[in-house]
Amino acid sequence: MAGKTIVVTSGKGGVGKTTTVANLGTTLAKKKHSVVMIDTDIGLRNLDVVMGLENRIVYNLVDVIEGKCRKEQAMIRDRKLPNLYIIPAAQTREKNSVTPEQMKTLCGDLSAEFDFVIIDCPAGIEQGFKNAIAGADTALVVTTPEVSAIRDADRVIGLLEASLLKNIHLIINRLNVKMVKRGDSMSTDDILALLSVPLLGVVPESEEVVVSTNRGVPLVHERGSKAGAAFRRIAARLNGENIAPDEDGSDGFFGRMKRLIWN
Amino acid sequence: MLSILKRFFGEKSSGQVARKRMQLVLMHDRMDITPDIMEALKNDIIGVLSRYMEIDNKSVKVNLEQGKDFTALISNVQVKRVYRHASN
Ligand SMILES: Nc1ncnc2c1ncn2[C@@H]1O[C@H](COP(=O)(O)OP(=O)(O)OP(=O)(O)O)[C@@H](O)[C@H]1O
Ligand SMILES: [Mg+2]
Repeated sequence: MAGKTIVVTSGKGGVGKTTTVANLGTTLAKKKHSVVMIDTDIGLRNLDVVMGLENRIVYNLVDVIEGKCRKEQAMIRDRKLPNLYIIPAAQTREKNSVTPEQMKTLCGDLSAEFDFVIIDCPAGIEQGFKNAIAGADTALVVTTPEVSAIRDADRVIGLLEASLLKNIHLIINRLNVKMVKRGDSMSTDDILALLSVPLLGVVPESEEVVVSTNRGVPLVHERGSKAGAAFRRIAARLNGENIAPDEDGSDGFFGRMKRLIWN
Repeated sequence: MLSILKRFFGEKSSGQVARKRMQLVLMHDRMDITPDIMEALKNDIIGVLSRYMEIDNKSVKVNLEQGKDFTALISNVQVKRVYRHASN
């Protein structure tokens, strides 16, 4: 059976796509699924440093696409999990050195071998975005509770729907529960009402994310971290498990519970 | 503390303000209606109405409003006088 091919995208930059990819991939691999993560952010690669694998890169995505190496040669195995790989982006190439057709083929090949193919999308809605979504069957749109991120998320959702990628789920990252409580941040319910796509999960704003990125060890390896637990729940839902919704400090908890029926 | 006082005296929280603003922005984005197009629409409405009545052009307001599951175009026009058309 073919694995799931999931693109993590956002429109706006810096909202947490790479962080999400690293943590979801790591969680799924810890649960014994075979996982490959592809960094499609050509020219601005980051997944390698977030995973702490920056010293092991020999070949990259463009090398695979151009046939300079086999895809197995470009796949870097995780330091802890033998069933987790990344394919790094090329750092010194143009975004258009890859085409959507080529990505489709590569994703098809990989999903025949892996349970999960997770694609880290670059910011923006140009060529890199089109490449990243071409081979995906599911899209996770990451937003923060800020107006500019939400507006860009809405635009991306429109483009995904137009591209016939209809299996779209939302991740709200960097939610500040204190600010929601005092009314100075949009709540989960506010954001869901605006974007009207199903919610996969809410990740709180947390310094732990920065610390784990500094170390190059995904947060989900750590016990007792709230943000890490949120990523673990999101991964479980992605895997089809029925997990109670995340709290966000606002009152709409039960309304959300009804809405969140993950199949 | 200041913000609690302001809230007490009826100022909306910034979260509410953001939500309201985003409702409008997203609606415009989705319908791809720019302020320019809204202006053109308004002028066309003025043009059509003027064939039947004298209106106060400056009073004309055209807005899209988002209900829970509908979008409404709401226009407010001050009519000065309705022309007497030969009713056929
Ligand atoms: N929940 C969070 N709490 C605090 N900081 C966070 C959180 N999520 C992400 N960050 C920080 O935000 C920054 C951007 O995150 P990340 O690189 O994952 O975003 P991105 O969407 O991949 O960015 P780009 O568009 O540049 O690829 C990083 O410094 C990261 O540590
Ligand atoms: Mg990134």
